[in-house]
Amino acid sequence: MIKALIASILAAVLSAIMGSFTVLRNLSTMGAAIAHASLAGALIAFSLGIEPTIGAAFLSVFFALIAAYSGEKSGEKMDIVLGVTFGFSAAIAALMLSLTREYTVAAYSYLIGEVLGVTDDELLLLGVFAFSSLTLVLLFYKEFKFLTFDKEAAEAMGVNTRLFHYLMIVLIAVTTVVELKVVGSILAVIFLVAPAAAALEFSHSLEKMVLLSILFASLSAILGVIISIIFNLPTSPTIGILAAGLYLLSLILSPKKKCCKI
Amino acid sequence: MKPIVSLENVTVVYENRIALEDVTFKLVDPAFLTVIGPNGAGKTTLLKTLLGLVKPVKGRVIVLGHDVLKDWRKVRRLIGYVPQRERIDPSIPILVRDIVLMGRIPRVNPGFRLVEGDFKIAREALKRVGLKEYWDKPFSHLSGGQQQRVLIARALAAEPNLLLLDEPLSGVDATSQEIILKTLKEAVKRGVGVNMVTHDINPVMEITDYLLLLNRKVIGFGKPQEQIKPDKLHALYGRRVEIIRMGETCYVIGGDAHA
Repeated sequence: MIKALIASILAAVLSAIMGSFTVLRNLSTMGAAIAHASLAGALIAFSLGIEPTIGAAFLSVFFALIAAYSGEKSGEKMDIVLGVTFGFSAAIAALMLSLTREYTVAAYSYLIGEVLGVTDDELLLLGVFAFSSLTLVLLFYKEFKFLTFDKEAAEAMGVNTRLFHYLMIVLIAVTTVVELKVVGSILAVIFLVAPAAAALEFSHSLEKMVLLSILFASLSAILGVIISIIFNLPTSPTIGILAAGLYLLSLILSPKKKCCKI
Repeated sequence: MKPIVSLENVTVVYENRIALEDVTFKLVDPAFLTVIGPNGAGKTTLLKTLLGLVKPVKGRVIVLGHDVLKDWRKVRRLIGYVPQRERIDPSIPILVRDIVLMGRIPRVNPGFRLVEGDFKIAREALKRVGLKEYWDKPFSHLSGGQQQRVLIARALAAEPNLLLLDEPLSGVDATSQEIILKTLKEAVKRGVGVNMVTHDINPVMEITDYLLLLNRKVIGFGKPQEQIKPDKLHALYGRRVEIIRMGETCYVIGGDAHA
């Protein structure tokens, strides 16, 4: 249970931070597409006898860069690029699921996560991914903030927006990899987006949004693990339902929404 | 003397159409340049060309003594840019101080933190636009005019040699308009060049040193008194425009409201 909680909190913290940028920059669909790519990568690696997390990281970063590059080249037609990327990565994942039928249980764990079964090696790898990502976010936080608020002015005033945009996309990809074992690819996007979207309802500064998002994501993860053990439920869906529930609650209690009611 | 801005026969194709054609003008001193023209005249494209965000298919662009095509990184670090406020998503949770401090980010290497000196410069910039006490306020709580002043403070915080402003008076209340123009006038006095694109020439007529009439091509460039002529404005807008003179100042009635 301790390993499950550590893995969940690692995923929660990273998801909350990257989720905040994902929500504010309207990159949720890209997050979903990348999550499917990470599943496909894990399954390909699994069938080849390679560590699945490495395969997930490789393919999700590859797809993320392809999507970001295609989006850059197609200008306004980003939704088309994401639609194709989403479908393509989901198709590869589905294909790999059918090909790895003899290992269905193991493959299934990447689809909906299996945090209670996380091994020491997996936890170490997740920790390395999470800490390297968090270090990069802390280093380039001010550039990410400028890019998120006003990309045009950031570029005009000399910030290398292209570099930081690509870096942000890669970090979102790494986040989905860290989430893979905890909540699985299906629920990765809700864990990425829901806590941040809930935090947005109560925040007037990015820092407050990130901190609240960490709180909401950690709460969903810790309670999800505990509730699933007590009631013998699958952990990932429990975490996903709690995260979604917190978002719905935030919409009801949101001071921002209340201020606009007549 | 190095020109602040110099364009020689610049032609820009943007989104498969000619946005600027054979544009030539030169500004030697740090002065207040106002650019007017109808919708789709290429005013914003002109600003983007000066920043090196749009590459001309023909011609040469010199900004602050640098060839923009070659030295765009250097040029951008010398410029304070104020984009159209409408492009900014108001739902992003951010404080006024965070926005003004963004002006300092290009001055600090990536990976390094802003230091006390950066905070001091940002506070001074916010003071210049009359919003000193709004440092810790959420941006979304400010009026449209105050938000525009914050964006101008951000550009000033960059300590630029040239300010480029895209429609900074659009949707701005009278008080903010007055403060913005006063701030820009002071900037010119300090030796900062100001290039401003606007749909309404009247509020800036008094502080404009040079006027550029642009409708993809240069219709006119020079002192405002020389450019505010019925024939030139007719050529610019494609219809009759009335000019009222009050002492040294003239007012244009019936120019494109959204030019």
